[in-house]
Amino acid sequence: MSILLNRETKVLVQGITGRVGRAQTKWMLDYGTNVVAGVTPGKGGEEVEGVPVFDTVKEAVAQRGADAAVFFVPPPAVKESAIKTIDAGIGIIVVVTEHIPVHDVMEIREYADERGAWLIGPTSPGIITPGEAKMGILPGNMFTPGRIGVISRSGTLSYEVSINLAIAGLGQSTVVGIGADPVVFTNVADILELFEEDPMTDIVVIVGEVGGVQEENAALFIDRWMDKPVVVYIAGHNAPEGKRMGHAGAIIRGSQGTPQSKIAALREVGVDVAKYPADVVGLVQRHLMPP
Amino acid sequence: MRLYEFEGIDLFRREGIPVPDYALVTSPQEAREKAQEIGLPVMIKAQVLTGGRWLAGGVQTTQSLEQVERTASRILGSSIRGLPVKQVMVAQKMETAREYYLGVTIDGYQGTPVAILSTAGGVSIEGVARAHPELVVSRHVPAIKGLLPDAQQMAREAGLRGEELVGVATILRNLYGVFCKYDALVAEINPLVRTIQGTYLALDAKVEIDDSSLYRHPELQIDLADRIANPLERKGREIGVTYVELDGDIAIIASGAGLGMATMDIVSRRLRPANFLETGGAISAELLYNVMDLVLQKEGIRAVFINVYGGINPIHEGAKGVVRYMQEHEVTIPVVAKALGNHQEETWKIFEKGGVHVVTEVSTEKGIEQLAQLLEGKA
Repeated sequence: MSILLNRETKVLVQGITGRVGRAQTKWMLDYGTNVVAGVTPGKGGEEVEGVPVFDTVKEAVAQRGADAAVFFVPPPAVKESAIKTIDAGIGIIVVVTEHIPVHDVMEIREYADERGAWLIGPTSPGIITPGEAKMGILPGNMFTPGRIGVISRSGTLSYEVSINLAIAGLGQSTVVGIGADPVVFTNVADILELFEEDPMTDIVVIVGEVGGVQEENAALFIDRWMDKPVVVYIAGHNAPEGKRMGHAGAIIRGSQGTPQSKIAALREVGVDVAKYPADVVGLVQRHLMPP
Repeated sequence: MRLYEFEGIDLFRREGIPVPDYALVTSPQEAREKAQEIGLPVMIKAQVLTGGRWLAGGVQTTQSLEQVERTASRILGSSIRGLPVKQVMVAQKMETAREYYLGVTIDGYQGTPVAILSTAGGVSIEGVARAHPELVVSRHVPAIKGLLPDAQQMAREAGLRGEELVGVATILRNLYGVFCKYDALVAEINPLVRTIQGTYLALDAKVEIDDSSLYRHPELQIDLADRIANPLERKGREIGVTYVELDGDIAIIASGAGLGMATMDIVSRRLRPANFLETGGAISAELLYNVMDLVLQKEGIRAVFINVYGGINPIHEGAKGVVRYMQEHEVTIPVVAKALGNHQEETWKIFEKGGVHVVTEVSTEKGIEQLAQLLEGKA
């Protein structure tokens, strides 16, 4: 078991014929992902890396049984593609695309929530269940199978934390990059719930960053609902106020979104907060090997 | 991207929100002429892309033409939070009977718009919400667009009745229209006033448009790079990366925002970062060539730390750009690179050949340690 994705998951690639879609399909296949179909309107009948391409999601689902989708679709096309993918009955959708208008993100999220679909992103590096499958752009060689669940707002930082854990002999059950836009489809607390229920996960690491209130709400969830230990790192202690630090959601406004407010909320409910990314390893070890 | 007040006021007017007569001027003489046309008294308001204009003295009421000229001259020569004031608004000043706050923004966590109405206008809404939450009425609005159905109910809850209820609710609905139509992150009127004649006017406009939506708003004619005051940050925008200038001397180049922030955190333990720089997912040889050029434009850089992962990014291509820049510009300060992920071995070879110090250990902490040792002459 794992969350959201395993080697059986039948993955569909939206935008498979684009430059990024092609390259990433190869990396996903090489990793062992069960990529069953691609979709690009107008390119039905072609093949990419041996994967059949369809004009519509509906056909891909009917003929290949796809049950999850990963998006490499340009921003203006995401809303329509997402709605069609949800309507075709696909329940897990990872959106890698960056720079989607926030109003589109809000509408897609509402549409998905009403129909019970899980969307991850936007600006997500993807999901990986190490040793089994990956959806998205996460480089496979950064991850190792194990029993730690990782939730990250940043792509690259999820790689850094995971490989640091791996070197210490601590592999991951599943790593989920939720994205760092001002609005994300799925919040940190929703993924915490999945890891809490996952028998293959012993401990959860959250890689957070400045901006928004994800970590503060995660603290409320942990306090109320979680038995498994959680370790957190928050990037951006030195972020100046009012500047957008690369991610559209990483901006401190007044006292909201500061690392101080996040750290205080987490410590108050007994969660360990690492000062620097590599310190996550020691804090995880402390939970796994009590003195 | 935040709009200037006058741009927001123009959007309001276009969408049926009443605004005062105003003119935009760049000289004291012009301010005087326009004040005469509009009729005294007038407000003189600095047009800068930051809050805090009142506190900084950038908003003044003037009663005579001499005072208009004097005030415009003073404000036009000043800076507010480091931003030089190049234009001021000369706006009709009305006698007001009552002030309100109206706003539509986004609750990022819930992922929906929120409409806010308060009868305590003209002051900080955050302050009102803390001290007198009973004076603030707010509603989450469905994200899939429709009319804001609750505006009149909200006005009622705020204690408004009769003509006032209808008048304020109509403006809130139109403000929601602005928010939806222009892909705003924030659309705020503070204050909306009721004049002693019983009409309504939006005396201020705070509108921030979602940068990611600008491709579908050519009518706004916004050039993002144009609005960035810091020249290095502007250059970053032009070449397609996010650059934030800091006050240290260690340049940082990272292939992700979180990684960039973490690198800043780690550098700050013993050294001082000169900048935050995030490349995004479009690394190429050319991009990293330009990025090297950008980070080295800042005076007094002592070293460059490159921290990149090959996920979506072809980091081996990026390495070629870095090395070419170093050769062409005879870079002699230490350049340290930690590069992991797809194509990592190839990337290391290119860097090493080009004189870049390659860190093969996985933690950024170790990489920064090596950089510090190089600076101290120990490695």
